[in-house]
Amino acid sequence: MIGSLVGNGLQQTTSYKVVIPFYVYAAVSLLIGTILLFFHTDIAHQHYFHPYTLAITHTIALGWGTMIIFGASHQLLPVLVEGKLDSNLLAYLTFIFAAIGIPFLVAGFYMFQMGWLVQFGAILINIAVICYLTNVIMSIYNSKKYNIHAWFIATASLWLFSTTFFGLLLVFNFTRSILPKDSVAYLTIHAHLGIVGWFLLLVIGVGSRLIPMFLISKYTNDKTLWQIFILINLSLVGFIIFKLMNCPTTYYYIVLALGLIGIALFGNFCRMAHKVRIRKSVDEQMKVSLLSVLQMLIPIVVLLIVIMLFPSKKYADMSILYGFCIFFGWLTAIILGMTFKTLPFIVWNKEYSKKAHAGRTPVPKDLFNENIFNGMTLAYIFGFILFVIGIILSLNIVLKIATIALVLAASLYVSNIIIILLHKPNIK
Amino acid sequence: MNEVTNDSIKLNIALSDLYNVYDPEIGLNVVDLGLIYKVIFEEATQRLDCEMTLTTQFCPMGESITNDVIQSLTKSFPGWDINVNLTFEPAWDYTKISPEGQEFLGH
Repeated sequence: MIGSLVGNGLQQTTSYKVVIPFYVYAAVSLLIGTILLFFHTDIAHQHYFHPYTLAITHTIALGWGTMIIFGASHQLLPVLVEGKLDSNLLAYLTFIFAAIGIPFLVAGFYMFQMGWLVQFGAILINIAVICYLTNVIMSIYNSKKYNIHAWFIATASLWLFSTTFFGLLLVFNFTRSILPKDSVAYLTIHAHLGIVGWFLLLVIGVGSRLIPMFLISKYTNDKTLWQIFILINLSLVGFIIFKLMNCPTTYYYIVLALGLIGIALFGNFCRMAHKVRIRKSVDEQMKVSLLSVLQMLIPIVVLLIVIMLFPSKKYADMSILYGFCIFFGWLTAIILGMTFKTLPFIVWNKEYSKKAHAGRTPVPKDLFNENIFNGMTLAYIFGFILFVIGIILSLNIVLKIATIALVLAASLYVSNIIIILLHKPNIK
Repeated sequence: MNEVTNDSIKLNIALSDLYNVYDPEIGLNVVDLGLIYKVIFEEATQRLDCEMTLTTQFCPMGESITNDVIQSLTKSFPGWDINVNLTFEPAWDYTKISPEGQEFLGH
């Protein structure tokens, strides 16, 4: 006789085939993004509407941040919404359209050809986002579990579509006048739709589920999460309204305060989860992820300085610093940490889920090289801090050294990804 | 474990097997983690029912852990009909971790 699993409890998780391509694409994008930054450190002293700045920002925001979040969320969506992923096909289509669209968009920005190259890329990216949005909404609808995490991920996905659709309008607005003003006037709205609406809401929504889960923490507080959700959304909507109505600078303190309170509440949520955790030893991946929560506050401080200095000559440098602290700061830090909490699981499940009792199996964290991970973390922190100093002091040599450290961190990240993906079990 | 079985010798054998089934992420065995709810033996039909849960219904390690439980019990009870019954009522929470498990986690 053989054993069997009865009951209807075990739910199928998303196939690794859906998820892994996103991780590979994101790793390559991080490396390309840091290499581009190394060759163009001079953008740190120029206006943010610069071909190289646009190219690097979209390589990191789309190729790195969005692609890895796409991959991880396809895997984590069942955990977050307590239901299975609606469609693997839509996930594959999301990858294909985004993977083709992003290089077109980035190349168009880099060469500053705002015609068909950028437009074609933007259209493909929008198709990818529609596929992703449909998959998320349908997965939540089918699960019938409308918890706070589902609200975060659904709203973030809607903001993502707003970002890319608005981006599409801006791209076409370069060649034919379809908006009242020129595209540059709307760049800050486009950027904050993505930064706050997509990245911040999604990171908080996913982080508030995963951080207590990985720490085995007793702490739950849906009331606080709802408050954060409302504050962040109000902050973003307020910013868009004030910007479109050309409100005085002082109005931005209101939306900044709302956002700051939301982030501070999330920081406190993580602190409480950490404080009452059952599992006392916190692994290195979680430490990097928790570091990224602290890094959320840096762009807010920089933004305060930007508003206060506006419109002095330092404004351009500070805007770049603000963007750097977001994309290469908290966003990159949380991804660097969470990659090594999620990808080893995915590969471990692929290799060992049916062989668990066949012999001594490694644990997921054995699938990557810890020394390389530690080297990556040190290179990243060194590069990040040095780049911030380089911008503030306007020292190009410091920026060059910082970007070398960031390229090193990206290379070590890529090599660890390769180690995980090439892992072969030594049991049958 | 919430409920014991009617055969303490067989239960001890089953438990010693289950103490060797680990949650790969946490590194703690499924008994001390509080995932095993019941183990029932039916001598007449040679049927073993193991009622258990997971830390979350969509635990990515669910398939691996339940497979491991089935294979461990099958090894010690050859010829028996092993049934692992997965339930989420009641749902798992940290209070189900045994004192030994909490000590292992440093709590």
